[in-house]
Amino acid sequence: MNDRISLEALKSNRRSLLKGMGAAAIGISFAGLAGCGGGESAKVGADGKLAATGEAPELNFYNWDTYIGETTLEDYKGASGTNVKMSLFANNDELFAKLRAGNPGFDVIVPSNDFVERMVQSDMILPLDMAQIPNFKNIDPAFTDVAYDPGRKYSMPYTWLVLGIGYRKSKVKPEPDSWKVLFDSDQYKGRIALLSEAGDLFRLYGKYLGKSVNELNAADIKRIEAMMIKQKPFVKAFHEDNGQDLLVKGEVDLVLEYNGDIAQKMVEDPDIGFVVPKEGSQLNSDSLCIPKGAPHPKNAHAFINYLLDGNVGKGITEAIQYPTPNGKVKELMGEEYSNNQVIFPRADVLSKCEYAKFNADIQPLFEEAFTRVRAA
Amino acid sequence: MSLFTRKPLAPLEYTKRLWLRSWIAAVTLFLYAPLLVLFVFSFNDSKANVVWRGFTFKYYAKLFKNDGLMSALGNSLTIAFLATVVSLVLGALAAVMLWRFRFPAKAGVEGVMALPIVVPEICMGVAMLVFFAAIEWPTDLPWPLNLSAITIAHITFCFPFVTMVVRARLANFNREEEEAAKDLGANEWQAFRDVLLPHMKPGLIAGALLAFTLSLDDFVITFFTSGPNTTTFPVKVYSMVRFSVTPEVNAVSTLLILLTIILTTVALKLQNIAGDAGAHK
Amino acid sequence: MQDWKTQRSAFAAIATAPTLWLLLFFIIPLAIVWAYSFGSNDGLTSIKISGTFANYARALEPLYLQIFGKSVAVAALTTLICLIVGFPVALAISFATPKWKPWLLLLIMLPFWTNLLIRTYALLSLLGTRGVVNQGAEWFWGAFGLAGMFGPFEPLPLLYNNFAVIFGLVYVHLPFMVLPLYAALDRLDKSLIEASLDLGAGHWTTITRIVAPLAAPGIISGLIITFVPALGSYLTPDLMGGTDSQMIANVVERQFKRANDWPFGAALSFLLMYATFILIALQALRNRKAEAGR
Repeated sequence: MNDRISLEALKSNRRSLLKGMGAAAIGISFAGLAGCGGGESAKVGADGKLAATGEAPELNFYNWDTYIGETTLEDYKGASGTNVKMSLFANNDELFAKLRAGNPGFDVIVPSNDFVERMVQSDMILPLDMAQIPNFKNIDPAFTDVAYDPGRKYSMPYTWLVLGIGYRKSKVKPEPDSWKVLFDSDQYKGRIALLSEAGDLFRLYGKYLGKSVNELNAADIKRIEAMMIKQKPFVKAFHEDNGQDLLVKGEVDLVLEYNGDIAQKMVEDPDIGFVVPKEGSQLNSDSLCIPKGAPHPKNAHAFINYLLDGNVGKGITEAIQYPTPNGKVKELMGEEYSNNQVIFPRADVLSKCEYAKFNADIQPLFEEAFTRVRAA
Repeated sequence: MSLFTRKPLAPLEYTKRLWLRSWIAAVTLFLYAPLLVLFVFSFNDSKANVVWRGFTFKYYAKLFKNDGLMSALGNSLTIAFLATVVSLVLGALAAVMLWRFRFPAKAGVEGVMALPIVVPEICMGVAMLVFFAAIEWPTDLPWPLNLSAITIAHITFCFPFVTMVVRARLANFNREEEEAAKDLGANEWQAFRDVLLPHMKPGLIAGALLAFTLSLDDFVITFFTSGPNTTTFPVKVYSMVRFSVTPEVNAVSTLLILLTIILTTVALKLQNIAGDAGAHK
Repeated sequence: MQDWKTQRSAFAAIATAPTLWLLLFFIIPLAIVWAYSFGSNDGLTSIKISGTFANYARALEPLYLQIFGKSVAVAALTTLICLIVGFPVALAISFATPKWKPWLLLLIMLPFWTNLLIRTYALLSLLGTRGVVNQGAEWFWGAFGLAGMFGPFEPLPLLYNNFAVIFGLVYVHLPFMVLPLYAALDRLDKSLIEASLDLGAGHWTTITRIVAPLAAPGIISGLIITFVPALGSYLTPDLMGGTDSQMIANVVERQFKRANDWPFGAALSFLLMYATFILIALQALRNRKAEAGR
């Protein structure tokens, strides 16, 4: 009898609880959306005008989280009247998987260089109309014609990065200068974290062995796989691009990470250092592209052009502290930024760094070998 | 004298036994320690939020101005609410269907009902992505219709859980009660509404809770079914991982938990008042 | 249980909605992916469905079977720990006074309502090398002068290993176990327990020989609801695991994402599903036999 009554009490509690939560949900959701201009995809702007491009004044921007300046989007709205809505993805795979089945409505996306190649090969990207992007002149000559997008027909560079060794200066002596300390040595066993990305890992091992990142064959893969399995007991974790956190938290003392990520942390923690090993490394570059099926291609061009402007780029770079491929921005950022050896490694170091070429045949081999390494 | 004698425990009063209480205390500590850490770190004066650097309220202030996070949260709550409601209906119907009727291929249907629980989320996510792309589900609908694809996917994987829980509850229902109602003149619908439904309620409530939580938490399937501008809370949090999770996320989680506690407390208090009022009649 | 033909209209009213929904939004999408498992990549974005079994053959290679096996072991261990930890909790809640029951249930369910990712990040803060637990242990070490006896404090390796994965999985799945256990224990006829105690059986005997068998359907429900998601979990091993904590869902994820090999990912997923499906079907058959026997 008692149990029955308590259950009655329980059930009505939960029933009213659910009602309460439901009401709260609707309340919060309306409040939250109020900030987004009602959330209705109006075909014309709030004041009935169209954007200068003749399209509805909206843009769907698919980007990495916080990979934009603090006020860039608001400033753009002020300057052009176009409302930019930014959606987020966490890595290139997600971007590709999402767009593979068809473009759900994004106008501008930000893939990395090998994914630009992949998407161009899959016919997923619109060629750019250079007449609508006069700010292209701001781009540093090193980036105006690259192997992954000859003549920059499909992409505009947004940032660039180089992989290297982030380390804690007080715990790692002498300063590391070679991949050996990460890939082939038990000196810092249990204090190492490697990027969990099969392709990048194999290519960097290739660099360590003195080969080019794009010249690995099946025999190389086997050899590298064996090396990885041998090194695995000394590696504490495979991180998903948050190695800089592990370093700062003291979980590990050496990480394979991008220079931009480490540079951001060096501001908060001066005991952190970064070095590009002497064998050379891999370059990356995140680029702006317009996927096929974009609903507002003209707005997309205008937005990309805006992002390449010197002052706008400065605002973005101040926020994210990544290396910029934009010569104007580098000028405007000043000496402290452009002379930062972590953000802009020396030319002699950079000369040994290469972009990874997307290779549809060898990528699956990397993945399978990595699965074996993880399972060993 | 009474200082040293303890009231002896009845044999079934397990909950009053010391070892059981200590066990519950230990489990509570286990479950809540991370949440406490979360709460404390929401006041951390450090953008990266990995090491304690000082006390501040600024991330709570930033939170309310963070449109992205707030709208993601709003989306998540809306989807969870809608998905729970529909899952309850579908789940209850399915449970009654399986409990009450024999029909051809029943074992097959039971198996299929269990499949959404078994499918790896990523497989289901991809399946829904391909499906909605193939039927060209529109992606530029106004809010909240643009959340429809996500909501449909959520309902699909939530309602089998509701079915399972409700069915367990139905298993000890005495059909004679229903027959008695019919003997007294109730028709099929009245018997269902006044006899079966009240019995199912604890199962429905447990099922609703389960569905709400599953939906609120879902990340993989949501990611694949979301279109532009339909970011949900878990997707937003996961996307922060490349540049590290700021204390704002801790702040919003703390607020969510507080909200839940407040709502539940209010609901229970109201129930107690109603209960007392009823008892005094 | 009645035959559907005896009340066709009632059956139709009840059965149409859920079955149609499942058909349209579950069977059909899944059928597409199932078809993929018999196909191969045709260029980067399309899949040619050629009726090949190559994907399944590859999924049954020792490499993947070993990963399956390891995942099953981890999920089973997690489920066992959840059962051991959760059973006393469920017992305590079902025997609590009516005033306390809803609060205790809420206590157990509340962490469940926090986002999984956030809970995992919180666990990372807790268990890290300089996390709360280690800092506490370090203070403890210093306060009690243990350095003299045992040498300087070494942080406990609580993260980035299999211990962390199991800890994380138990943490996430414990409420899943408690709820069905509680539901089963709650509707037990308490007088049976009293009778057993009156007849001289101790508490332990009563629990193992009376309570457990009677609550068996609930226990099995709890086991399934805990085991199956644990087997398919990939966020927890990904974020908290070490270099050899790879589980089957991580491999599946890799196929659908970086490796861009959807047919193979589909084959792996479906193998996982066939296995679990068989388990559940067996249980359903046993239930039918039990019901037929009554």
